[in-house]
Amino acid sequence: MSSATKVIGTGPGAWFGFIGSTLASYPGRYRASYHRRRRRTILLTLLVVGTLIYPIVHSVLLAGFSRNVLPLPLPDDTVMTFMTIFAIMSIGLNIVAGFAGLLDLGYVAFYAIGAYVAAFLASPHFGQFGINLVFLGHVGPGAVGIHLPFWIVAIVAIIVVATFGALLGAPTLRLRGDYLAIVTLGFGEIVPLFFKNLSSLTISFALGPLLINVSNVNLTGGVQGINPIDPPFLPILDVLFDARSGPLAVYLGMFLVTIAIVVARNLDLSRMGRAWGAIREDETAAEMMGVNTVRTKLLAFALGASFAGVAGAFQASYLGATTSDFFDFSISILVLIMVILGGIGNVWGALAGAVMLVYVDKTLLPYVSQRIGDVAPTLPNPAQYNFLIYGVLLVVMMRFRPQGFLPSRQREAELSVHGLADADAQMGVVGEFDNVGVAPPGQDETGADSRSAETPDESRHL
Amino acid sequence: MTVQPTPSAPTLPSNLLTGSIADESILVRSRGVTKRFGGLTAVNNVDFDIPRGAIVSLIGPNGAGKTTFFNMITGSYIPTSGDITFDGTPIVRMAGKKAKSLKPHEVTKLGIGRTFQNIRLFGTMSALDNVRVGANVHLTSHWWDSIIRTPGMLREEQATIDSSMELLKLVDLDTRADTWARNLPYGDQRRLEIARALATRPKLLLLDEPTAGMNSSETRALTDFIRRLRTEFGLSVLLIEHDMRVVMGISDRVTVLDHGEVIAEGSPAEVRANPRVIEAYLGRDAAEAEAEA
Repeated sequence: MSSATKVIGTGPGAWFGFIGSTLASYPGRYRASYHRRRRRTILLTLLVVGTLIYPIVHSVLLAGFSRNVLPLPLPDDTVMTFMTIFAIMSIGLNIVAGFAGLLDLGYVAFYAIGAYVAAFLASPHFGQFGINLVFLGHVGPGAVGIHLPFWIVAIVAIIVVATFGALLGAPTLRLRGDYLAIVTLGFGEIVPLFFKNLSSLTISFALGPLLINVSNVNLTGGVQGINPIDPPFLPILDVLFDARSGPLAVYLGMFLVTIAIVVARNLDLSRMGRAWGAIREDETAAEMMGVNTVRTKLLAFALGASFAGVAGAFQASYLGATTSDFFDFSISILVLIMVILGGIGNVWGALAGAVMLVYVDKTLLPYVSQRIGDVAPTLPNPAQYNFLIYGVLLVVMMRFRPQGFLPSRQREAELSVHGLADADAQMGVVGEFDNVGVAPPGQDETGADSRSAETPDESRHL
Repeated sequence: MTVQPTPSAPTLPSNLLTGSIADESILVRSRGVTKRFGGLTAVNNVDFDIPRGAIVSLIGPNGAGKTTFFNMITGSYIPTSGDITFDGTPIVRMAGKKAKSLKPHEVTKLGIGRTFQNIRLFGTMSALDNVRVGANVHLTSHWWDSIIRTPGMLREEQATIDSSMELLKLVDLDTRADTWARNLPYGDQRRLEIARALATRPKLLLLDEPTAGMNSSETRALTDFIRRLRTEFGLSVLLIEHDMRVVMGISDRVTVLDHGEVIAEGSPAEVRANPRVIEAYLGRDAAEAEAEA
């Protein structure tokens, strides 16, 4: 709850007033934060500004330097775009696994559905059935197939994927723990297989007076998938910029990540976030305190899934093609590793985990491979052992820092050994954040206040 | 907890102990409630009423079925058979041969709050947030309100914080509002559980061994507090308790369960004198010795 602003009145006017006054309070809050924790504020500012200008600096300066003068392991536009795609997914999976404590091993299914929604709604694919629909497009009015602008595609993807999330969750969320993980694992395997095999669909049945007779329809393009898919055009309804090339895609991705962060944090700090926390802590007690556990878990599942829908739609639009091969089971695991490495339960941790792991996967390992290949071509190529490396990384993390790099305080306490170690760990983490200058769990002003104020208190009575 | 001089208990309807109670004066009415776990009959054909505004205790030796009965009132166990009505609304009713029960969260919303025998707070949430979870059940804003932070939702949140702070004040925990529940001392945790239950705005408060593990002054303070809840908030209280001083001192009415059956019911004095009760607690020999003495 932002303490700096008060809500006055009701209706949309009040909402805009509230948002306006909240935004207006940020300069003041920033100054206050600067006075209170100067080093941290400066480092955070540098981090944000650096992130914002890096894509441009890279494309005009660093890319050429790295190519011609000195090869450096710098993430390029594609890598950065994938960082944002995976960040959206890990922030979404963090809602399911981190906030509500539900282990979802089939998250890739929602990613795939999102991508295929984009493929259906922004490609010539449906032209084969004589379905042609162009709306506000950069594509000419006579174009074949359905062509909707990216934002509409993204919204449809959210709705469709959330619906599938609810459909999957409704029967399975009565299960607890391991059983839920197994069912979602199956779902994550089934969905991509569906897309792979729906290339010659034949259905024939009678629905009342209607005779449905579909024979040999290529619904999903099978192994080849669907292409070309329209690129996302910006800024709003497919005018002006083709956001597939260069840094523009990165900025579009950053914008989507920003929305994802705001939505996830607002949910976490709401009554829903408290209900999720209560379920994670003690499902029985939560139910006794009036929390409708099935509905609350279902909501976590559907909302978390919708993030993957956006990521899938963005990925398909960005690459201009989609095939079922993209949506391997390993993606589910990769996103889960991002959440766990980053710090489960914390939005910033999920973001950091995604950025780190995509960087290692798509920039650092290929770079190291190439350097090794230049020097000693007979040595094994580390890029081929990426999952071995993640596995070792995960084991090492679980041994030495099970709460992840940027943990949420709650999950950290749950994962650490009971007793005095907790207070020490908490103290230690706060100290580390001061030195490194990375956002602590709950980076927003109110969060940082209460947390830093509370730490000494807790150590006192332990 | 600050011990305040408690006003004497309000006079209850004189017909309370005679058994002929008009319907509207009864908050919970259970008839023929039975619960079997496989071959074990934990609760057998129990008729049990809680009058409005009364403090009623449920006592009995270990394994008598007290907590099982509790769990059936709150909807967490579905009885094998029987009917339970709360404030005119059926919680458990027979549908054919099977009993159907409301879900726990529905029962909570109707107005039954509870605490647990072994404390079950949300350990890594602050004391305030624990209470706010209890208050969730009466909030009206939706998840989409939370995402875009509508003024109505923010006002509701602020109102919830205020009312939760008041409840914390009531149990003398307002200075520990930001402390994690699991870092509170034992007695504070017990009181926080009561505050959390009160946040669901109950008409009936179920307390499962609230004084377990407390020293005598803490116990006295808690007993006073329970009386205060009845006089100031008009709550009815159902208590499971092993400390007989608490039971005899606070209850308007005591029901004794043994092996799942009601063996005695009445005022504390009546129950104390009942030979079957003494037998259930101390064995037949002791009961006979008592009778001779």
